[in-house]
Amino acid sequence: MATLIQNTVEAPPPWRGVMGRHPACFTLMLYIVMYGMYAMFDSKALSSYTFTNLINNASPLALAAAGQTLVVLARGFDLSIVGTLSIANVIMAVLPLDGPWGALASFAICVGVGALVGSASGYLVAYRGVQSVAATLGVMIICQGIALLILPAPGGMVAEWVSDEMTSTLFSLVPASIILPVIVAGLWMLLGKTDLGTALYAVGADQAAAELSGIPVKRTRLLAYVMAGALYGVAGFMLSAQTATGDPNAGMPFLLLSFAAVALGGTSLAGGQGGLIGSLIGAATLMLMQKVLFSGGVSSFYIGLFQGVLLIVAIVIGRLINRSRTGDRP
Amino acid sequence: MNASPETLPSALAVVDQRAAAKTNPETVTAIMLLLATVLLIFGSKLISPALGSWEQVLTILTLGSFLLVAAFGQGLVILTGGLDLSVPGTFMLGGVLSAAWIGSGDVHLWFFLPTILLLGGVVGAANGLGVVLLKVPPFIMTMGMSIIVGSIALGYTGGSTLGAAPTLLKALMKGDTLGVPNIVLLILVFSIAGWLLQSRTHFGRNLYAVGCSPAAARIAGIPITRTLVLVYALSGIASAFAGALLTGYSNGATLRMGDAYLLPTVAAVILGGASILGGSGSFINTLCGVLFLSTVESVIAATGLDQGWRLIISGTIIVLAILIQQAQASGARPGLSRLFKRSSGQPKS
Amino acid sequence: MIQSMTRRWHALALTLTIAAGAVFMAPVHADEPKKFKIYLSLSYSGNNWMSETANIIKALAKTPPYDKLVDLKEVISGTDPQAQIAAYESMIDAGADGVISFPISPTALNRVVKRGCERGVKFFMYDSTVTESCAYNVSYISAGFGENTAQALVNELGGKGKIFMVRGVPGTSVDKRHADGAKAIFAKYPGIEVVSEYYGMWDDRIAQQETAKALAAHPDVDGIWSELGEAGTLNAVADRGGKMVPIVGENMNGFRLGFLNPDYQKRGLQGVSSGSPPATAGYAFKLMMEILTGKRKQEPVSIEYPLPWATSEQIKLCNGSKIENGCNVFDASLVPQGFSTVIHDDVLLPEIDLRAALEGKPVDGMTIQPLPAAIHQAPPEPGINCQRCEAPADHYKLTVVQPTVAGQ
Repeated sequence: MATLIQNTVEAPPPWRGVMGRHPACFTLMLYIVMYGMYAMFDSKALSSYTFTNLINNASPLALAAAGQTLVVLARGFDLSIVGTLSIANVIMAVLPLDGPWGALASFAICVGVGALVGSASGYLVAYRGVQSVAATLGVMIICQGIALLILPAPGGMVAEWVSDEMTSTLFSLVPASIILPVIVAGLWMLLGKTDLGTALYAVGADQAAAELSGIPVKRTRLLAYVMAGALYGVAGFMLSAQTATGDPNAGMPFLLLSFAAVALGGTSLAGGQGGLIGSLIGAATLMLMQKVLFSGGVSSFYIGLFQGVLLIVAIVIGRLINRSRTGDRP
Repeated sequence: MNASPETLPSALAVVDQRAAAKTNPETVTAIMLLLATVLLIFGSKLISPALGSWEQVLTILTLGSFLLVAAFGQGLVILTGGLDLSVPGTFMLGGVLSAAWIGSGDVHLWFFLPTILLLGGVVGAANGLGVVLLKVPPFIMTMGMSIIVGSIALGYTGGSTLGAAPTLLKALMKGDTLGVPNIVLLILVFSIAGWLLQSRTHFGRNLYAVGCSPAAARIAGIPITRTLVLVYALSGIASAFAGALLTGYSNGATLRMGDAYLLPTVAAVILGGASILGGSGSFINTLCGVLFLSTVESVIAATGLDQGWRLIISGTIIVLAILIQQAQASGARPGLSRLFKRSSGQPKS
Repeated sequence: MIQSMTRRWHALALTLTIAAGAVFMAPVHADEPKKFKIYLSLSYSGNNWMSETANIIKALAKTPPYDKLVDLKEVISGTDPQAQIAAYESMIDAGADGVISFPISPTALNRVVKRGCERGVKFFMYDSTVTESCAYNVSYISAGFGENTAQALVNELGGKGKIFMVRGVPGTSVDKRHADGAKAIFAKYPGIEVVSEYYGMWDDRIAQQETAKALAAHPDVDGIWSELGEAGTLNAVADRGGKMVPIVGENMNGFRLGFLNPDYQKRGLQGVSSGSPPATAGYAFKLMMEILTGKRKQEPVSIEYPLPWATSEQIKLCNGSKIENGCNVFDASLVPQGFSTVIHDDVLLPEIDLRAALEGKPVDGMTIQPLPAAIHQAPPEPGINCQRCEAPADHYKLTVVQPTVAGQ
């Protein structure tokens, strides 16, 4: 992950005014500091096995938060994340396709279903002017219903190839589950060089100005939801790999956590500022936080207290650092 | 704050425009929601002949009252451009403490009930301070607060929530006065008080101004810090009160009792036509949103469908209701120019 | 500027990591005599049932001789299977001897459980189960709550009438098993009509609200079959005034007290209290300790805990917090209505009284009593305690109650 950030630092994109601030750096710092604490508490923290486990745990949330980032950047909230993840997960469980080609087909199905749900939300928000929270809440409830119809109770088996290979350690060093988030980060950096990437920020920062400068606001917004939906599908794919089973309520825990990851990654929940890579690291940080608190021996009754306080403090420090670094914003 | 001076006139214009044309689209939304509610109640006779009765209406009102009280606070916060995700925490706080501190013996009720509500207010005020002074986004501040409150309650109670409902709260939910069910009186009084506060007081008008444009509100001399802290505190109090009412209704409390009310409070406010970006909405509309949501729930529950289909139908109804509302709102005046003005340079973080 | 800043941070981070590494490399001394390192993993807490089970286990761990043998740590991981997976992983890494747990999912934890087994960790699941065969499941689920209570209700109604089914959390295997069992019975009686089926989420508040809605639509209901939350179901029926209908449900204190309420009795309340016993957790813990200490040889297996069963006539109020003379419900001033009453068993779990279940403190002067040697192996329940298996032909056979009306 360090290399990713390094890349973006060394090659500032043309719209550096937006992306060049790198709020993700602070998140990465936080992650490293917490990992240090974890290693202090638990001698096994530095083994590649533990690291693989951590990444396996974080990967679904990271991908989901990446999707949420796209919508948040375009100034919206996407609650349909819950439904899409659940549907992708139950499809993986009732329709296990084995072998690498089967996995590829499953992957395509998850992405396709996610994009479909995303296009429904996106259409309502972009073309019918429905508020994002309202539209995606409706879509979320409908999708939860669909997930329950596909699989009425937890069960089913995810294809073994998926659940084994996607959670393994490659070359006894690299967790396989980091591949998809890395690819997503790469795609994100490519996206930044396109008109769509610029448009995403412009729409979120100031829709009126975006409209005036000829940016296709509606299409941009729709695409944000479609891409986000596809990413939720990928997140569902990775979640299925990790749990190896289906659960019609699988997506629920991701709702608030995805927003926390986005905010922790330095993206403004008001839209127009931030980036996807920060959210990936933010998600990893949230999952690491649980491990640190466990290994630190915090009484489990009060783990929530620490989580809440840490979350708020991290956001406050992140804001302070970003402000002092960039000076007064226009 | 990052609102540039150029946007101030336009923001002020929005405030003016809103004050002038405030009633029209909102009233239409409210009337349509009420009509839909009444239609649903009568239409439900098709599902079961016993429905469409006063009994059913009373059930809907009783079950909707918790949502109504909590949605009042949520509505105020959304009006200022924020969001209160601490509803599960403060709701649970009010419910659990009513059972644990007061209990069925009504021990020191007149001291403890206000104290409990005040505690809800303190949690809310902490939200407000975090949002205003530390500049934490409301989303994160209130979500973190909910986790914190939940955790403290878990540690304090050890997971077991003891106690039963105070008789006063029970009577409030189930008794009647002069033949009128207390819950109907409560909803009437609460609605009128809520409406007066939000639409007829100086404080209420300040909220619209802050929600439309904090920068403009500041220039107009509105004490933003005090207003926002008060708004979050009020939301905490309302939500704690809703929790106390649920304890009265169900004769006990659990630590997760508020979880189910978070999304419905937001949904009710937005169904009522408020913008999630702030600056619009009225409590009467929220009331209509609550009645509509509760009725939909109640009628769908009477169908013999699978849970999956029930969810699909209720989600579809929400989307349709908002689409219809959207259609009539954009018919009332060009929606795009509205968005233009609202989104210019507002720090909604 | 940004670059130098970043570099500085990286340097700082490196320093920190090295410092952390230095600390972890310091040798760890094993000083105390060997205690079994046991983790209690709860999926969520905040309802009475879950905290009772935790308290029972904590009280047992402090009861001699276990107080010298057990180092118990509690972890609550919320309703998210992923969080519980992470928690199990941490426990395995921390060198746990045993994990006693309420598993949130019957299948999602399988992989981590399997890995733990390979490292020699004993997994004991109580109440809920996992389908991984290297874990021990201890549960009443296979004991037929659904079918037995359904038959009792049918008997009560004489085989004819409109009923409600108050289910649990949709999309969970436990809810599905209970409801399937009940429906298998109702299907035998054409006179029984399920007019409303809704979800009380195993929560008395929600069950009460949903029942109130159902009563508005079907005031002519004749009986109610309810999963956990039945105290709320009862409240809704009582609030309506007038005649009350038979209710079969689980073992919440408020529900059982209803059968002793003279007003309710006069209005015709009848029923059966059965369902999920918190005592299962204590039984599972004792089994685990007997296996860990070598007193019992037992391969991993699914063990059935007997189904609690009390008809309305068998409900008897306890005097204070002592559980004796077959009493089975507590005074309303001692516990909340949602308290699950089956916390004690004269044979399997005599160590526990009300205070132990409420506060997690051992009973004075009590020592751990040995368990009967025989265990009751649970039949295969596909998707609950085994993955690729068949349910027995007599899957929903009645065990506690017999039909008094002829069905089809």
